[in-house]
Amino acid sequence: MAYLQTLVNGIVLGALYACLAVGFSLVWGVLNIVNMLHGSLIVLGGYLTFFAWQGYGIYPLLALPVVALLLFALGYALQLAVINRVVSEPVLTTLTLTFGLDLILYNFMTVYYTATPRRVTLDLGAIDIGGIVMPVDRLFGMLLALVLTALLYLVMRRSRIGRAIVAVRMDSAAAALMGIRVNRIYAVTFGIGALMAGATGVIFAMVYPVTTNLAGIYLGKAFVVCVIGGLGSVPGALAGGIVLGVIESFAGQFFGPQHALTVGFVLMLVLLVVKPTGLTGIKGYE
Amino acid sequence: MMTRRWHYVLFVVWVLALATTPLWASNYIVRLAIMIAMYTTLTLSWNFIGGFTGYPSFSTAAFFGLGCYAGALSQRSGVPMVLAWGIATLFVGAFAAALGAIILRLRGHYFAIGSIGIVEVVRLVVSSWGSLTGGGDGLNLPLLSGGPNAVARIFLAVMIAIMVVTFVVTVIVDRNRFGYGLRCIQQNEDAADMVGVDTTRYKVIAYFLSALFCGTVGAAYASWIGYIDPNDSFSIIMTIKVPVMCLLGGPGTVLGPVVGTAAFTLLEEVFWANFLDYNRAILGAVIVVLIFFLPGGLLGLSYRDIAARIAKPHRRPKTAS
Amino acid sequence: MHFTTTGYASAIILTAGIAVIAISPRLADAADVVKFGAPLALTGSLADEAKKQDVAWKMWLAKVNAAGGINVGGKKLKAELVEYDYQSDGQRAGQLAEKLITSDKVDFLLSPFGSGHTKIVATIAERYETPVVACAASSESVFDQNSKHLFGTLSPNAGMFGPMVKLFQEKLPTLKRVAVLGRDDVFPKAMAQGVSAAAKAAGLTVVYDQLYAVGTMDHSAALSAIKAGNPDWIYVTGYTQDLILVRKQMSDLGLKAPIVTMVAGPAYKEYIDGLGNLANGITSSSWWHQATSYKGVGVWPTTEDFYKEFLAKEKSDPDYVHASCAAAAVILQDAIERAGTTDKKKVRDELAKTDVTTFYGPVKFSANGMNQGRDLPIIQVQDKQIKVLAPADIKNGDLSLIK
Repeated sequence: MAYLQTLVNGIVLGALYACLAVGFSLVWGVLNIVNMLHGSLIVLGGYLTFFAWQGYGIYPLLALPVVALLLFALGYALQLAVINRVVSEPVLTTLTLTFGLDLILYNFMTVYYTATPRRVTLDLGAIDIGGIVMPVDRLFGMLLALVLTALLYLVMRRSRIGRAIVAVRMDSAAAALMGIRVNRIYAVTFGIGALMAGATGVIFAMVYPVTTNLAGIYLGKAFVVCVIGGLGSVPGALAGGIVLGVIESFAGQFFGPQHALTVGFVLMLVLLVVKPTGLTGIKGYE
Repeated sequence: MMTRRWHYVLFVVWVLALATTPLWASNYIVRLAIMIAMYTTLTLSWNFIGGFTGYPSFSTAAFFGLGCYAGALSQRSGVPMVLAWGIATLFVGAFAAALGAIILRLRGHYFAIGSIGIVEVVRLVVSSWGSLTGGGDGLNLPLLSGGPNAVARIFLAVMIAIMVVTFVVTVIVDRNRFGYGLRCIQQNEDAADMVGVDTTRYKVIAYFLSALFCGTVGAAYASWIGYIDPNDSFSIIMTIKVPVMCLLGGPGTVLGPVVGTAAFTLLEEVFWANFLDYNRAILGAVIVVLIFFLPGGLLGLSYRDIAARIAKPHRRPKTAS
Repeated sequence: MHFTTTGYASAIILTAGIAVIAISPRLADAADVVKFGAPLALTGSLADEAKKQDVAWKMWLAKVNAAGGINVGGKKLKAELVEYDYQSDGQRAGQLAEKLITSDKVDFLLSPFGSGHTKIVATIAERYETPVVACAASSESVFDQNSKHLFGTLSPNAGMFGPMVKLFQEKLPTLKRVAVLGRDDVFPKAMAQGVSAAAKAAGLTVVYDQLYAVGTMDHSAALSAIKAGNPDWIYVTGYTQDLILVRKQMSDLGLKAPIVTMVAGPAYKEYIDGLGNLANGITSSSWWHQATSYKGVGVWPTTEDFYKEFLAKEKSDPDYVHASCAAAAVILQDAIERAGTTDKKKVRDELAKTDVTTFYGPVKFSANGMNQGRDLPIIQVQDKQIKVLAPADIKNGDLSLIK
């Protein structure tokens, strides 16, 4: 029975992790860029949500589309203006560039918002189904995360833009020959990545304290989920997130909370060596 | 070759400049010189795997931190200071060799991620193995006795000595068939393999070299500061700064890391002394500018190239519109 | 990799130019001041705490200079505070401490927040034989380097546990089972270990005793295990964001106990702000509370003087960090005035001999430099307000058990 609770905890946590990682995975898989800004973008989404709630009483769910759009615009602009120039460069260049950009964003947020932990105090309580307790806000977050990832999946599969993104990912030269404006697609993809980060930030603001101190931790999780699940694939991020959530949950129970995080990272390293393409077997660029 | 000789001359001049700081500057400047020497060693080390071989390693902090702890634990067990540094060096080298055999099978992004993962895992392990490492409490080291001036001079000499050794090894590698082989691997690993370069062995040796002296300076640093803890010993900022310093100077060259470290450290100095609140943002901006306008680092600087790059947005993109 | 002549030239000119700017000496300051140096983590993860220190010291500075300055052997010298931001980076903390001493030539140092960084700064101060006062380090391990120049205004952690166990046993006679969850970090770990030992010594059963790693985003596993142990008293340590998260998850998982203690959560306003009603009922230890009424030396003769001024200026209550740091400055001033000189050695000796009362309470340093122990306030959040439960002479409320 206790195991069932642990499993449920893990799945709910895992859905949050999946939402966190899906934008990151997309950018990495399609653009071949490790977006070190991801954690900070999540926190930015969180701050926008918090101030909307505190200043204007706007319920986070309502703030979600606005925040998401704002961040999409930010990501799109950033990509077109700055990141586009290094898209085909080796990982050292791109990683360092996004790291530099992250330092700038992080610094401005810390100065402007200060690192004091903020919380959107909704206090929705928990529901109890047959002895298994599930906090309402996490459940809500999980549902939202699933909805968003499903939407993203549909967009990727069905819409023109989505298919263009997949085409560019598979072969950018061929895609260009087919009339796809590759640069624009790159910008849209990065924008989507930022949008998902922002949406995650909104969801997380309901569950976690909002503070720049957590940006690095979110980024670290994104890495691990992507390696576990496979890159550039929405189902991969979902699978990876849930697996990580469940593993951390059980590790926390069996090894003690002290070692829960270590297990995640060790797993990532092992997978990297043994099966870097992760669960879904989708190969990112080298 | 004219250029090679200039390298050595410039390096010697720089070493003298650093070594003589106690004679003409305050202890604060001497401390800065010690840090420059230390970071130069780290950057020169990174250069083996990142510059010559083209594998973007982000493991520097892991090696440095392990050096700190290996040195600290040895010293606390009664081992004399310099011997403790030796032990730390060997330990970190062995660790890197063993790890390299596994992790160097990865390439590009995956290698980069794996190398960062190493830093986190090692930090978490050190942090949770409290009975051995003191965990979050950190470790005290026996402090070298002597006034601040004497201690500063000693550690300046130590850090410079290690830097010089690393530089010499770099020169040897650069002029050797081994270095040539590494460069082949960077250009095209599969081709190098076909031509007969033992890529696996070469890569592991490069990774080993990239770790060796990090261990030494880690141990020396611990002895100097007298107290270490997991968060500062395994700092992600350090592990990112080091490749940036190398990129700034010119990766894959002999003098590049030296120039890059010097310029970066001094830039940092100027910025956070004068722009308190935004120093991180400025550091970030420096990195961004660096990536755009200095692809070959400072030593590969060409104003014509820069002008061309600025003009780039006005050119049509290569893809069909 | 090709080298261009412009490349070399630019590199050399750039480096030389930067070097010149970097090391050019600052203009010499007036000699007739007493300089206090403070490396602070104004950016980075410890920024919030550093701001509190900054606020407290600036308040003291304004007050002492308004009165003409520090009385040094009959002459009044103005006080000056030199601060640098070390970006929550330990390496930099040491670097800046050295800069303050050698370049800015400060007379005394004020230590930053946090045990590790305090130790690093203290090592430098010891080498230069400069007195340094720490106002935010309470773990014994910080003071274990045999430093003669490090003094701390916070009383040792050890004084917190005994009285708390005793009080709780008194108010809840059926108290038997304790669960302890600590953050794996110097201070929170020390607190967790301390209470665990004190509980065992008092005959209680410790049903859960674990540490969580720095960066844990989910405590469900630990909290579920604690729930299974059915404790009467839950004790959690960590920094504000951890404690907010734990409290929230406790509520989510339906984990309850008659007594819940979080250190140092309620001692900080941000904790109560962040939790709203969920903060009610949480107990904690603190090193100071404004309800005390001490009277003694310094620019604020009584606790009330300090409290009133702080409230007027900052529009909120001071917490123990504010008070402790203001006290650090007050004590340094007192020692200088007793010594009649700013000579480091003489002031250091006077500091060691300190035995006074200030608005913050009694200050007397033990052999290792820590302020001697005393009965520290035990507080509880009731209706989003802080009530002091102990010690008896300052209490203004009683423990209310959580239903």
